[in-house]
Amino acid sequence: MTDIATRATRVVAATGGRRRLNGGGPRAGTIAAFLIPFFLPFVLFYLVPIGYALWQSFLVVRRTGGQYGTSYTTFGGFEQYVQVFQNNEFWSSIGRIGLFGIVQVPVMLFVALIMALLLDTPLLKIKSFFRITAFMPYAVPGVIAAIMWSFLYSPQLSPLIDLLNGIGLHPDFLGPGAVLWSAANVSTWLWTGYNMLIMFSALQAIPQELYEAAKLDGASNWAIAWKIKVPIIAPSIILTTVFSIIGTLQLYAEPAVLRQISSNISSTFTPNMLAYAVASGNNYQQAAAISVVIALITFVLSFGFMRLTSKRAGL
Amino acid sequence: MSNTVTRIRLAVAAAASIAVLAGCSSPAPSGNASAASCAPATGKVTLQYWNTVPGMDQVVALWNKENPNIQVQTKNISNDQYGTIGNALKAGKAPDLAQVGYDELPDLRTQNAFVDASACSAATAAKSDFVPWTWSQTSFGGTGVYAFPQDTGPMALYVRTDIFKKYGVAIPTTWDEYAADAQKLHKADPKLDITYFDPNNAEWFNGLLWQNNAEMYNYSGGKWQVSVTSAQSKQVADYWQKLISDKLVRTDLANGSTQMYAAFQKNEIATSVGAAWGYSMMRDNLPSQAGKWSIVPMPTWGSSAASGDWGGSTVAFMKGSTHLYESVKFNTWLNTNPEALALENKLGGLYPAATAGSKLPALSQGVPYYNNEKIFDVFAAASKKIDTSFSWGPTQKTVNLALQDAMAKATAGNGTLSDALTAAQASALKSMKDLAIPAAAGK
Repeated sequence: MTDIATRATRVVAATGGRRRLNGGGPRAGTIAAFLIPFFLPFVLFYLVPIGYALWQSFLVVRRTGGQYGTSYTTFGGFEQYVQVFQNNEFWSSIGRIGLFGIVQVPVMLFVALIMALLLDTPLLKIKSFFRITAFMPYAVPGVIAAIMWSFLYSPQLSPLIDLLNGIGLHPDFLGPGAVLWSAANVSTWLWTGYNMLIMFSALQAIPQELYEAAKLDGASNWAIAWKIKVPIIAPSIILTTVFSIIGTLQLYAEPAVLRQISSNISSTFTPNMLAYAVASGNNYQQAAAISVVIALITFVLSFGFMRLTSKRAGL
Repeated sequence: MSNTVTRIRLAVAAAASIAVLAGCSSPAPSGNASAASCAPATGKVTLQYWNTVPGMDQVVALWNKENPNIQVQTKNISNDQYGTIGNALKAGKAPDLAQVGYDELPDLRTQNAFVDASACSAATAAKSDFVPWTWSQTSFGGTGVYAFPQDTGPMALYVRTDIFKKYGVAIPTTWDEYAADAQKLHKADPKLDITYFDPNNAEWFNGLLWQNNAEMYNYSGGKWQVSVTSAQSKQVADYWQKLISDKLVRTDLANGSTQMYAAFQKNEIATSVGAAWGYSMMRDNLPSQAGKWSIVPMPTWGSSAASGDWGGSTVAFMKGSTHLYESVKFNTWLNTNPEALALENKLGGLYPAATAGSKLPALSQGVPYYNNEKIFDVFAAASKKIDTSFSWGPTQKTVNLALQDAMAKATAGNGTLSDALTAAQASALKSMKDLAIPAAAGK
């Protein structure tokens, strides 16, 4: 790839980028000139790091000269991967995140869909106000959102808990059973508006004639929503689902912040947290293997979901 | 997020290149680095010094003014201390000097991060300037000099004397008395607990183990002997497990968190087993409790008066430094010169490892917040009673995480603290095996 890049640069330099767009050489130069600003960072910041991680994941550490001797890495085949597959912490983090996704993703997308449909009805006034307020949490960085919610979850500081105590309820948002759902709540709060906006944009693109025709046929608003709007925006719903599956598997910020105030979130709570913990212990090769396996699982789940739904929906 | 899809697709594509890349793993090195030389440089020298101490640039400015030929540049790496150091080492761009916590010394030495400064007579001569246990840490109990001690966290007991007085309970001097007091205080006021146990604070718990002479790591027979589950460790674990099971200590407060100070503020906590550097945190976060806190020696085990250490750092001689002579000179000044120590204490809150530190005006006077008590006398006395043969392990970060995860399970009623020690022992052996560090289970 470097070869092409160098040649392209040379061509661009030679032609001064001023030739007309016909003919062989100069044209290739123009193409290269347009592609380089994309390709160079793409290679440097995407392909090379991924290649490096893959390479690392096939290495093992060896040492010469005792405990304070010198370490070096050597090719170890699938040794790191065997360890990942034998690691109980890894599988429990995947299981935990699976449970999270099965509950949180449908709930969030259902709420987002309802909100998008409501925004799309003529019944609702001051639409732009609702649209912006629903979307606003997305503008808050995930870490800040998690810090904010951690104050609401914390028994010593939360006005919410004081209020609930007042009416005789004593919830423990940070308890062993509850903390996963407290994290899910933060994610839902953050991402519902974003997903709503994608669905809402799709709704906006539906031609009004369809609704007129439906009305003439005697369809109620309810029927229009569920029988016309939802099927038409199905591709957007699938897209947001795929995004959400990926986001769930990469969950890090929310639990990592809540971990500061709850000991019920372990250092290996999510797959990404586990990879980080392993890397901070200098075991980069193992961390790389974990990352590759997470990527593969994400790949299988999201593309599997797309295949499944595209067959069903006939897309 | 959509980038991820692309990234994953590319990951698979890039898998093809693995065969090529696998050919270029780092080659096996040929033997160890030769002994360092201590020849002074001719002309002007610039040293790099990385640290996490607030105000350290001002301390260094003082040195730079007086030493035009040995100029020091500082860099604050508090964002990601060990990540920055680790990456610099990999890139071969480590600084001359870097701040390293005592518990990370074996880890970094295992990564071949240090240079032995004992070639400089000034370095070996500095031994007598420091509290004994700190020197044994930086020399790994041998004759080498890999770092100079900078600050320490000798442990003591922070006590709400007003609460003890109110309920007519005597301030404990042994752990047995402490447990008995825990019961008395909680009985007197069900909302009051003697202290909190933060399961996510392995560093603190390790300090308690250190106090009880629990030597978790020893190097002998060409291997690390790992004995995290020793009888001494178990004694400490069982003691706290009983307090937790009997619900006599809070387990929902993270050390240093807003929540912890809120509980202090509401008079729900009567004592805190803390370190020297914590004195200013009480003062700054709980101004309304001035005069109510006192600092007494940590409760003891049986007839032993030993104390523990929690935290503190060293300034390490990093591999690749070409100016060892000058590094030793600056490092000596930085950590033994009274003027430098006073400034570090004032700006960075450091409690010095140098014996000269206890003579500093700020550290020998009464402290207004603590009823004008000479609290630093308590810490200085504690520091003299810290086990000098204690050693940290070479994968301490990983072991601490495993210990914390298991201690959190124990406080949630799933297993015990003794099980947490077992988990830490297993983690120590596994993490060392992963990094090809020779290790075996000790007795």
